[in-house]
Amino acid sequence: MPFLEVAHLRKDFGGLVANAGVSFAIEEGEIIGLIGPNGAGKTTLFNCIVGYHSPDAGRVIFKGKEITGFKPFRTNREGIGRTFQIMKATTGMTVLENVMVGAFSGVDDRHTAKAQASEILDFLGLGNVSDYHINELPIAMQRKVGLARALATRPQLIMLDEVASGLNHTETDEVIRLLRKLNTEKQITIFLIEHIMEMVMSVSQRVIVLDGGRKIAEGLPADIVKNEEVIKAYLGEKYARSH
Amino acid sequence: MIIADTLLQGILMGLLFALVALGLTVIFGVMDIVNFAHGEFLMIGMYTVYWTSLLLGVDPLLVLPASAIVGVLLGLASYYWLIKYLLRGPAIAQLLGTFGLMLFLRYLVMFLFGIDYRIIQKGLLVGKSLAIGPFIFDWTKLAAAMLSLIAFAFVYYFLHKTKIGKGLRATAVNREAASYMGIRTDRMNALAWAIGGGTAGVAGGLLVNFYYAFPTVGLLFVMIAFACVALGGFGSIKGAFFAGLLVGVIEMLFPIFGSLIGSSFLGPHFKFTVVYLTYFIIVVFRPQGLFGWKH
Amino acid sequence: MKDAFDFSDFSRAERIGLLIFSLFLIIFPWIGASSFLKAVMIQFLLFSLFGMGWNSIGGYGGQVELGQAQYVGIGAYTVALMMVWWKVPFWLSMPLGVLIAVGYSCIIGYPLFRLRGHYFAIATICTSLVLKDIFENWKLVGAAKGVELPIHEHPDFLYMQFKSDTYYFIVALFYVALFYMNRFRRSKLGYQLRMIKDDEEAAESLGIDLRWCKIKAYATAAAFVAVGGGFMAVYNLYVDPASVMDLDLSIKIALMAMLGGTASLWGPVIGAGFLVPLDRFLGSWLGGHKGFIGLDFMIYSLLIMAVSAYQPRGIWGIVQQFFRGRT
Repeated sequence: MPFLEVAHLRKDFGGLVANAGVSFAIEEGEIIGLIGPNGAGKTTLFNCIVGYHSPDAGRVIFKGKEITGFKPFRTNREGIGRTFQIMKATTGMTVLENVMVGAFSGVDDRHTAKAQASEILDFLGLGNVSDYHINELPIAMQRKVGLARALATRPQLIMLDEVASGLNHTETDEVIRLLRKLNTEKQITIFLIEHIMEMVMSVSQRVIVLDGGRKIAEGLPADIVKNEEVIKAYLGEKYARSH
Repeated sequence: MIIADTLLQGILMGLLFALVALGLTVIFGVMDIVNFAHGEFLMIGMYTVYWTSLLLGVDPLLVLPASAIVGVLLGLASYYWLIKYLLRGPAIAQLLGTFGLMLFLRYLVMFLFGIDYRIIQKGLLVGKSLAIGPFIFDWTKLAAAMLSLIAFAFVYYFLHKTKIGKGLRATAVNREAASYMGIRTDRMNALAWAIGGGTAGVAGGLLVNFYYAFPTVGLLFVMIAFACVALGGFGSIKGAFFAGLLVGVIEMLFPIFGSLIGSSFLGPHFKFTVVYLTYFIIVVFRPQGLFGWKH
Repeated sequence: MKDAFDFSDFSRAERIGLLIFSLFLIIFPWIGASSFLKAVMIQFLLFSLFGMGWNSIGGYGGQVELGQAQYVGIGAYTVALMMVWWKVPFWLSMPLGVLIAVGYSCIIGYPLFRLRGHYFAIATICTSLVLKDIFENWKLVGAAKGVELPIHEHPDFLYMQFKSDTYYFIVALFYVALFYMNRFRRSKLGYQLRMIKDDEEAAESLGIDLRWCKIKAYATAAAFVAVGGGFMAVYNLYVDPASVMDLDLSIKIALMAMLGGTASLWGPVIGAGFLVPLDRFLGSWLGGHKGFIGLDFMIYSLLIMAVSAYQPRGIWGIVQQFFRGRT
């Protein structure tokens, strides 16, 4: 039984078809990358899975349970966590308090939540910024805080929304390292949307490619870069043929 | 027969409600602020016509422009002395602010004129009625309805056919784009408040011919205006018009409804309760009202 | 539970202030204050109670609510009617009033929290006006005339009618509220509400059911305020829609909390501390002068407009800014 299964997912926005029947499956423990040119429908697909949008047709099945149309707080309770590309400047709550909110999804007591949050912050190397506010930190750290926050909800699947955007090489490598650590040490399945090719190709075990609302390719990174349809989608017909 | 008469009476009141709702919806459309003091603009319009006509010994309908002028000035003053500063802050502060304005105007009037109820006693049309077929209408209400309609049409024309009016609507649709096109959005804000104050003032000036003026009368009418604006869609001018009519009819129909089904509990004393419930139900179940968001 | 009494995360100045204030409250009855001052003090404590309750939804919940009076009314009427009809002691009718208030708040909260901002505020006004209209016309509960509570010759603990010792009763309620809110702000719900205020989308992604959290905050506010209403019933020995369900009451409660500052535990108390005496002293100074009716509200509203234009975080915000500027 696949861990996460998306079947014939369709979503349109008043005439514009963002996802036209997308299907794929992820196994537990995998690291899967989702790529595609701008406007391919990646974000819509992401949002339909986490529950920010409700698909017009098709199904989303997680651990054998139908979660199609579940709102974000429900998908989180089922075990799906997510990060955001842009962290709203939460001037009120500190980093630690933010992560505690994540921890509270599973516990009721403040002290337990605090302990869990501290543990996760240490795991990600953020122990020394617990008392800062998110908007006081550089972007790379903000992203890690977002990750820590989502992790505090003890998800089995984490969905990352362009987690490497705006980061330099060193920071991106750090993210890759952390993701691998999460995958092996905490057995968390990872699904990421990404535009930065080097990042997604080096960390993903498998890659799914969307274009124009449809899945056009799926497979190992090494095969995807040579795939004619993929090249055509990104660079146009000319380059595909000459390749 | 009773129903037809009620319907017509409802439409007459409805035209007045539409005018009141117009000002509220324009302000909201242009800057996303709900003017809690709108009822107080109306109330001041009432007092303006009352006192001017009494002191000058002139027919209340002739001094109507005074309430328009006072309303416009009040709107502009509110904008330049308060609202302008509120716009910089968070929504909660804006709410607090217009609320404070409401209280200030209300209690200022109470302080100046006391709590007595006042109504126009002398005038050309006061106390007279017109019979059209089997229906009898108070001349004051009829005049109020017709003049409200004219005022509404005037503002509509202004917003759709004049350059300034179009600028206002552009600001309502997309503030940033409007400013790029050279429209002075600050002036448009002030204009919106001028229209809001002016229309409410005129409505009040018409109302005082057949409804008592007292310092807290504004609350009732602002709640009616809220219900109309919610029903018609916040920001929609067309919506304000039709919603006004609808609310006028509901308000008139409800007491009859109670007696028709033989209930003594449901009666005229609940006619405004129905308006409040209408707002609640619309806003929860169909937030875009009849005509959707802005225009 | 220990959290309620733990004020360690407040600054030293705040804690000392709280201590001094508490001492003042305790010795107040013995400093020979006039009965007028005593009444003002009781009003202040009552409105602090109302304000702190309101803050659950207005401050922590982030949604300005302008219909709190309906819950004051529910609390007050429950106590009054239970006593008049069936001689039910205060200590049974009060919790019942709270229960009804909480239940009612959950029922109307469910549709209400589909709304936000102005729409929400107006809707809360609507619901409270509807309830008031119903009570004003319902003969069973006394309609506009209200309900008078019978005076017991031997005031006792059962009926809570000892006028002179009412002071300590309201002080006790005040502290219960204070400790409860202290615990509330650091509870799971408190954290969740803060997250919702900051970033709703993120909150949802962390498993928070937005609507349910807001309803819980709203029910908390309703409970507090119903307790206050019950107090009003035994203190005034009289309840009617105009005194316990009026829109003006809702407005006062919200304004005191907002003026004092909704972002803190002390805000509502400060707001009440400012406005209640202002209201009372202005009222008595201007006395029965007919020509001065309304001046008190005029002054409040000027204050409110000034605060909202320049320091939306209220008086406490001004105080904090002042101290921050010094360090």
